[in-house]
Amino acid sequence: MNIFFLALLLIGVGGTQALATFRLYSLMKAGAVLAIIAGCSFGAYDAAARLLQHAEPVIYNHSWLHIFTFSLKIDAVSAFFLVPVFAIPAVGALYSFQYLHDAKRAAGTAINYFFYALLIISMALVVCANNLISFALAWELMSVSSFFLVIYDVHKKATRGAGYIYFIFTQAGALFIFAGFGFLYSHTGTFGFEALASIPDSAKLIAFILILIGCGSKAGIMPLHIWLPYAHPAAPSHVSAVMSGVMIKMGIYGIVRFYLLLEPTSVVFGQIVIVLGISSGILGVVYAIGKQDIKKMLAYSSVENIGIILLGLGVGMLGAASGNKTMAAFGFAGGLLHVFNHSIFKSLLFMGAGSVLHQTKTGASNELGGLMKTMPVTGRSLLIGSISISGLPPFNGFISEFLIYYGAIHGLSLHGASFVLSALAIIALAVIGALAGAAFTKFIGVVFLGEPRTDKAAKASEAGILMGTALSVLAASCLIIGVWPYHFVQAAFLVTQAIPLVSDYTTAEFMPLMTNISRTAALFILLFIIVTVLRKIFYIGKEVTKSGTWGCGFTQPTVRMQYTGTSYADSIVDFFRPFIRVQKNYSGINKIFPGKTTYSSHTHDTSEIGLNIFVVRPVLYLLSKLRWIQHGNIQLYIGYIVLAIVVMLIFL
Amino acid sequence: MIHISNIFLALILLSVLLSLRSNRLMALVKLMAFQGIIVSAVPLVLDTAHGLTFNLIMFFLLLILVKGLVIPGMMSIAVNKVVASREIEPIIGYHASLFAGLIMIIFSVYITNHLNLASLPASHKLLLVTGITTMGAGLILLMARRKAITQVIGYLMMENGIYLIGTALAKEVHTQYVVEFAVLLDLLVAVLVMGIVLNDINHTFDDVDTALLGQLKD
Repeated sequence: MNIFFLALLLIGVGGTQALATFRLYSLMKAGAVLAIIAGCSFGAYDAAARLLQHAEPVIYNHSWLHIFTFSLKIDAVSAFFLVPVFAIPAVGALYSFQYLHDAKRAAGTAINYFFYALLIISMALVVCANNLISFALAWELMSVSSFFLVIYDVHKKATRGAGYIYFIFTQAGALFIFAGFGFLYSHTGTFGFEALASIPDSAKLIAFILILIGCGSKAGIMPLHIWLPYAHPAAPSHVSAVMSGVMIKMGIYGIVRFYLLLEPTSVVFGQIVIVLGISSGILGVVYAIGKQDIKKMLAYSSVENIGIILLGLGVGMLGAASGNKTMAAFGFAGGLLHVFNHSIFKSLLFMGAGSVLHQTKTGASNELGGLMKTMPVTGRSLLIGSISISGLPPFNGFISEFLIYYGAIHGLSLHGASFVLSALAIIALAVIGALAGAAFTKFIGVVFLGEPRTDKAAKASEAGILMGTALSVLAASCLIIGVWPYHFVQAAFLVTQAIPLVSDYTTAEFMPLMTNISRTAALFILLFIIVTVLRKIFYIGKEVTKSGTWGCGFTQPTVRMQYTGTSYADSIVDFFRPFIRVQKNYSGINKIFPGKTTYSSHTHDTSEIGLNIFVVRPVLYLLSKLRWIQHGNIQLYIGYIVLAIVVMLIFL
Repeated sequence: MIHISNIFLALILLSVLLSLRSNRLMALVKLMAFQGIIVSAVPLVLDTAHGLTFNLIMFFLLLILVKGLVIPGMMSIAVNKVVASREIEPIIGYHASLFAGLIMIIFSVYITNHLNLASLPASHKLLLVTGITTMGAGLILLMARRKAITQVIGYLMMENGIYLIGTALAKEVHTQYVVEFAVLLDLLVAVLVMGIVLNDINHTFDDVDTALLGQLKD
């Protein structure tokens, strides 16, 4: 526990000193980055060691004014989540040193570092919280600090709007969580976690749904995901990397933690989670294909990956409820490992997108192109990230999705609704995998291949060395986990022992399979290297000429004739039409000698439109009718207070 | 038997009713000074009063100094310097306010009985009634008067009421004084801020009518 607190202290000092020394811009950044990296390394090391050594859970209690006890506990689940909580922000901090480069905004940058440190601390506290109040406190701290991180570019109107949307969603989510906590408290009469398993089954379901909605709005489950595509593009890239890579996983942590605490026995829990997972996964990736802004697209891809994680957890819950040990262990292990993997490749992708944004000043993929030649490090790291996120071997995304498949296939031995949902989960995983492949071939193809579509893209140069280092570290981790998954899978299984049913489940007969995967991946990489070397050898001394792409006989090709992201996505998006609204403006060709012709298309989020019609507008209408209450007359305001006091005194 | 504390309470009630009726700012400020001194001294004359320690005496002296001299002094400076017209300009008329004050007394008696505090000594019951009335009258003053300075006076009166209620309900005397002291400090700062704000309102609107603040709503 001491190392844990030392880590938090170092991170806190790093963030706070930035506020004091912001006049010395580079020094402030260096100090903050170094302290945060040092603190995070301690924390990540401690958590990883704890996990691999099967350490006993440690508890820390601090009672405050006899009102409540601030209680922390690090067990296997917490330690597993602590690793990405500390590791990813460290890389993000390294990246931010060159990403935040505007010395005129020194104070803003200092505030950014302060809240960055606060966000790391609060996330660490969320995963260690050991009673309802501590959890709620840490959760609120996390929401508020991330809100301030989102509105870094506060002078831009779009950023402020995004910040407000995020704030509303995160606070409404917190409201649901607190409602759930209040509900739990009314049954147990204590804030402690220990008594939660003993409440009646119907109460468990209500509490779980309330917490699921609250945590789901943080995690970005499908109808509650609306803030993601606004907040992530608005935030600085290292912040969106941490928020998308780690912070939204706190929602998943909440779901997992309260599932474990409630120890439910009904299959309904798993079924709800699987259905949510299917909808988030498939629709998330379809929207990701439809969006042309690279960070928006990545935000939707986060929704998709939350869907995959939920599918894994749902399969695990279904297995636990129907007594199928293999299904339970593999579902949970796969879901949790995907949490870890996604935190790596999603932060890699966001930081890579940030490098592109930083060097070209535009995030619209249809204005980019050909960046692989000018930004080789960024391009290759992002290629690795894209392969990982599509769930292809030999990278890490494949490993976790493989575990989920394995668990779901065991679910086919169940009967009734559980069988149908297991089958649907497998189909959904397959559909998501294929669509994710399409989304990320679009991303790499349009942004990094072909010819630059605008001047901005043509003039781009490689991003700074620290940014490149951060990307390379993450890309290397993707490869390492993909090739040597043994320990990571082992750690994920260790966490699943928290479920009573599978506490004695052994994976001995499965682990050889992991070794085989590892060998195959190594073989593949060896082949890849051999082929590359052979190609080099064969081309020695031969003349290599470069020329334009063959234009099918057309002699005047321009860069505008390239395949765009919109056209690539069109057929897939069309297929999902009921769920995704596409608005096309086409002027048409109606003369023999056509004049200027224009075409533009936008994809709209159906759940956003739905929310607008069914929630925002009625509320606004109602509130506009109540405007007369706010008339600006102080005396009448006091009158309201008097009235309220009198009514309460008489009737209560 | 007429206890001396009952005379004090009667004086407080009278000052409350008078303040609702008074139509001159300066008279109101003087009334507040009087009320402040009496209210501060009430715990001394209660039959449950414990032996006086040096600290307690210092505390009461300070209380009387602040409530009876410092705050009214600052307010009279404000009245003389800032406020052009010494009229009070009520929203609710003087007679209606007075009537509201009388209703407030009845209401307080009702509430005190309604609260049903069995452990309360008989003498403290009247104290509670007076306290609630003072607080309620403060609210009425806040609501029914237009000038910014009368708002502050209403606020002061509410504080006096809270102090009386605290005296009536508190069992442990010392902890109450700690809280009281903190509130007093708050009040002093509030009056200081009021002076500044009053100056600013005067500069901006050429008047201290709080109705003008309505222009600041969005």
